[in-house]
Amino acid sequence: MAVLTDADRKAIYAEFMSDASSVHEHLGDMLKADLRALINAVDQWIDDNQASFNNALPEPGKTQLTTQQKVKLFMAVAKRRWEVS
Amino acid sequence: MASGDTLVVFTPLHNEPPASALATLDTRNARPCLDFDADADEEAVFSGIMPQHYADTTGVTIHIWWGSSTDQTTGDVDWEFAFERIISEVTDLDADSFAGAQNLDADAPGGGSIITEDTLAITKGANMDSVVAGDAFRLKVRRDADDGVNDDMTGDAELYAIEIRET
Repeated sequence: MAVLTDADRKAIYAEFMSDASSVHEHLGDMLKADLRALINAVDQWIDDNQASFNNALPEPGKTQLTTQQKVKLFMAVAKRRWEVS
Repeated sequence: MASGDTLVVFTPLHNEPPASALATLDTRNARPCLDFDADADEEAVFSGIMPQHYADTTGVTIHIWWGSSTDQTTGDVDWEFAFERIISEVTDLDADSFAGAQNLDADAPGGGSIITEDTLAITKGANMDSVVAGDAFRLKVRRDADDGVNDDMTGDAELYAIEIRET
């Protein structure tokens, strides 16, 4: 899968700022361009490390789960790590 | 009226939201405010009557009280103000006729969750759609959020009050 389109990255950017605004969450000293660069970097990192992530998965999940299921699992683990930290 | 005297005051509760791209009514610590998104232009509109004591010598100065929803202290917000004069037996209620927008490039507040006040002088005549004493009028307030040069503050801009003074 290729990196997200500019429109998709912009949607993340809008949603991220909207969510932060709704709970008055400080975003450091970042300007809009800084946030866009962050989103671009995260998307690029995911794209660059997709194969590495998949190779780290044990069988049978590695071959039996769909890509969407693997992504969902990744998000669940990342979210829990954030919640308990 | 003397220069510096208050002519009209608007609060978020006076907003007449446009049909689309509207700033959102919100509260912060129970204070009503209008949230203007950071990624797309949004607007608020206020109706008023220019008081009879408006001298129209120089024009008006708009004072805007606003804050950052994410407590940003860096970046700028590009505020725009546009007047629409409402003329008896002339103005078509089904159409907008705002004058050209007047820009205010405002710095993010100085720290934390504090409010900030910025001002913009607007000269009389065409820049105010020729609003004079006794005229009904509307004032549109807009955040030009997609101005990549002049609007770079992340997060919503919260509008708390507008004061129009005699310049």
